[in-house]
Amino acid sequence: MPEDAYDIGNHVPTFNAYLTAIVRDSEGKIIKVHRQRSHSPTANFIGLFLPMAYFSTNNVSFTLTNTGGSTCTYQPGLESSSKDIAYPNTGANHNTYIVMIQVGSGQQSNPYTATALAAPIANGSGAGQLVYQPVTLPSNITINGNTAYFYITQTYNNISGSTITITEVGIILELQVTNYWNTSSTNCGNMLVWYDVLSSPISVPNAGSVTIYYTFAVNP
Amino acid sequence: MVTPDLTGEEDIAKLIIPNDLPKEQPALTAYIVAKVYDKEGHIIRYHRQPMRSPTQWLLALTAIPLIGTYSSSSSSTANSFLVNVLGMPSQQYTYPAESPNSANLSWDFSIQLGSSTQAFSPTLNSLAAPIANGSGAGQLSYGSVTATYSGTTIYTYVTVVNYSSTTINVTEIGLVVTFYIQFMNSSNAYQANTYTYLLTYDTFSPAITLPPGAIATFEVAISFSG
Repeated sequence: MPEDAYDIGNHVPTFNAYLTAIVRDSEGKIIKVHRQRSHSPTANFIGLFLPMAYFSTNNVSFTLTNTGGSTCTYQPGLESSSKDIAYPNTGANHNTYIVMIQVGSGQQSNPYTATALAAPIANGSGAGQLVYQPVTLPSNITINGNTAYFYITQTYNNISGSTITITEVGIILELQVTNYWNTSSTNCGNMLVWYDVLSSPISVPNAGSVTIYYTFAVNP
Repeated sequence: MVTPDLTGEEDIAKLIIPNDLPKEQPALTAYIVAKVYDKEGHIIRYHRQPMRSPTQWLLALTAIPLIGTYSSSSSSTANSFLVNVLGMPSQQYTYPAESPNSANLSWDFSIQLGSSTQAFSPTLNSLAAPIANGSGAGQLSYGSVTATYSGTTIYTYVTVVNYSSTTINVTEIGLVVTFYIQFMNSSNAYQANTYTYLLTYDTFSPAITLPPGAIATFEVAISFSG
């Protein structure tokens, strides 16, 4: 942002994302609440956010990279050859949906270029694993005065037998692109669209759980 | 930190929108640039200001790359967020239902200018007094919207010309999104249903003045923290 366009008054930043983690012990009591600002849309997110004008003006596509390192072409438009995000319909469906808020035990310095967590924690009950409960989607936007927000949340249970430490978190989207003829459909796979390294590690005790909230707010 | 157990949504809301975190760069910032040229092409006004007023529709757009369009991996219906917030169909009919035809979602940005002001609300979905596209009194001729992208910043531009014989004052600006759901309709013909929302609303004080014959470029730049 150019220096002369910074708001130098008392204005509060107008779009923020937050990451909150609530850790519970084996009896369900809260033993830690971790809160931090969330900063990090990935390049995949920004590519998916771009308007059609970017693609039509410049006659370009955007290369997305999935968590396995494979690439996929995204080129939304109103032409029959476009590669748009699939929408639920009565014909051929190509499900595009949030897979999970994934947690991990590694970290990486440049979230923008991240395409996968550095060290994802697997779903399971074995050593070093967490049991992932289903992700809960927002069904609406909550409005309170000039503030509007929604959140995505997921809970993880630790039945591994020992404490597990989380240091990184990311949102994974399963993306499929298609045209309305269904002749350009491509399964792009799992995309990391948002990524954060925790400002301090979170320890989840054996038999305990952690619930993570990603909150996106305007005018907070 | 140890807190009492959570008893309801109000308790959760206090935790998920904390107001006691240190000030840091927000996840998204934006600014607006207006450049006005006289009919000889000389620049007569350059103005830049931060964008202050995102609406709930910007949040809704942000949600799509995060949560997608379907309610789950096995469902053929839209997630309730798209239905409840953006008014999109739970399932788009496409002709014929059993055929391989599909449906898809895309969006484009535009910039709307206006000549009045209004109080901000996150549910705002139009300018107070939009300036129509044309060459008549009080109208501006809007060019095509262009967009570029560099790193974590998306730039959207529009050029307008005042072909009317009187000065026009621009006092409000909005970045607008139009969603397109494309499909084959019951006549087996291509169709795109549109859904239009105001993403941001800002005012100019003093106004951006365009004398007769003037050309102006308005730019909205959205930067993610990345």
